[in-house]
Amino acid sequence: MQGKNIYKPLLFKLNKVETESPLIKTFFMTPEIPFDFKTGQFVEVTVDGVGEAPYTPSSSAWVKDKMEITIMKAGYVTQKMHELKGGKVLGIRGPFGRGYPLEKFHGKDVIILGGGVGIAPLRCLLLTMLQEEDKFKKIHICFGAKTPSDFIYKDWFKDLAAHKRVELLRTVDKADGDWKETEGVVTVLLDKLQVDFKEAVAVVCGPPIMMKFGTLRLLELGVQEENVYLSMEKNMSCGLGKCGHCAMGDYFVCKDGPVFTYNEIKNHPNIWM
Amino acid sequence: MKSYSVSEKQWAEILHKALSHYGIFAPVSKESTVDYEEITEKKIDQIFYDSIKPTTPLKAFFFPIKENVVAAKKQTPRLILGVPACDLAAIDLLDKIFLDKDFLDIYYQENRENTIVFGKDCYSFNKSCHCTAYGLNPYPEKNCDVGMSHSDGKFFLTPFSEKGEAFLKEAGIASSAREKLPSNVEAKRQSTTDGLKKQNKDIPDGKATRIGIEKENEELWKKYAAACVSCGACAAICPTCHCFLLIDKKNFEKIKNWDTCQYPAFERVAAGEDPLKKLYNRLKNRYLCKFVHKPDMFGEIACTGCGRCIDACIGKINKNEIIIEACK
Repeated sequence: MQGKNIYKPLLFKLNKVETESPLIKTFFMTPEIPFDFKTGQFVEVTVDGVGEAPYTPSSSAWVKDKMEITIMKAGYVTQKMHELKGGKVLGIRGPFGRGYPLEKFHGKDVIILGGGVGIAPLRCLLLTMLQEEDKFKKIHICFGAKTPSDFIYKDWFKDLAAHKRVELLRTVDKADGDWKETEGVVTVLLDKLQVDFKEAVAVVCGPPIMMKFGTLRLLELGVQEENVYLSMEKNMSCGLGKCGHCAMGDYFVCKDGPVFTYNEIKNHPNIWM
Repeated sequence: MKSYSVSEKQWAEILHKALSHYGIFAPVSKESTVDYEEITEKKIDQIFYDSIKPTTPLKAFFFPIKENVVAAKKQTPRLILGVPACDLAAIDLLDKIFLDKDFLDIYYQENRENTIVFGKDCYSFNKSCHCTAYGLNPYPEKNCDVGMSHSDGKFFLTPFSEKGEAFLKEAGIASSAREKLPSNVEAKRQSTTDGLKKQNKDIPDGKATRIGIEKENEELWKKYAAACVSCGACAAICPTCHCFLLIDKKNFEKIKNWDTCQYPAFERVAAGEDPLKKLYNRLKNRYLCKFVHKPDMFGEIACTGCGRCIDACIGKINKNEIIIEACK
């Protein structure tokens, strides 16, 4: 047989694992050869002999010799991932799919709406964008979590807020005594923004219910359907547009997505599941 | 199309010789079924050339039920005899998926390249056969290396590809002159085609089917799904169903294993959401995939009218009854 084997993973050394919240950990890895990807693309991570699942990296797409992935414990493979410690070897296939078309964001207000572990892929997007910060008019970050302790990347937010073109707003569903920021669902943050919504682009990533109501609010505020970018969660298994698990109407989300504009998918079945 | 003619005896001798180079698979008749078997010296005489469709679809040779797609593989070249036109037609879609230039599946490619496919004329059919409903004819017109017609103790071999021509040349057949298919073969083909058209006159074509099944008609799907047990037989024996699951083994090996949207949890995500949780949605999804989504994605319906899903269904769900009712 000749040619590249699309089913065979590259090997990544797991250097360390950091706990972000009770259910979420970040895995720091080094690839066997430099690994190139675009922000918004995803990879399939294999735990040897256990299984494979899709994740979007949470580290910058500018960095080729290291990769970080933040993973919530949700099913069988993620549970096994959470049991791993530094020194193990993981398999990675990819990158797969279509990422964010950053060139279309240039010169514009960019609204980034994220919730829960959906902040992980948005960290990759933000780190990638901030490398060329001046290309964007302003980056408005609206992040939500259930409680203050559920926010991942706690140490990162200070760095983020210090960027001159960044506006950072955070909210929690349920505040505690020390919380001085907003309380309420993540869409309330959108109402605080002073932005020309008709000209802005927006990126949404999070749990399906947040994606749905976040998108509907953005549209109400005037963001154009073709300027709302959604990162869709489906059961991506092969990543190659073959196995059928992530079919959504006439798209294979793994190959045609996972990033779609609202305009592209609004008439498709089960977009919010 | 012009063909080479050989006697049954000559053809049997060719197969005897071919066994030293090739694995040979061909339909062999059992009491109530016909299916592909590996042909040994003794079985050459048992090959059933005038069979109806074999139970197993051709796809199983290129996209096996289970295949290790990381480990190295070694395969003997194969001849597959007796492939009906409904299975040949399905190759169009399978090739688009597995030989997609963005992500070429080298295991599928190897399986295709290592195989010489002999298409065959169907001179008989069963109640479920309905290739003509979708514009196909019951004899080889594409996607095989050699087409085979059988009449009056002779085979008429029509090369369709360079690989097929080369095989026939090596076998000493291609040196004789090619002739038009004899009129009795043409007559048998026409008779089968006419019979199929008559049997299937009420089945809507692909376009009409699309309109019918796109209608909001939850009751229809619930009614038929009441007899469905999610066994997945309809997908397993379907010549175009291509879904699979990658199952992990030690040393990062992966097994590409047939899977189907008819099984529970096929689309379920880690957080628990599952668009196909309800059985009637899974049943409907099978039809939407074949008559709506595949045409939108690949320009063709994903049904070749082989009718195996009707034969295989233990709930006796008849695909054509659903479609006729949906199109009313």
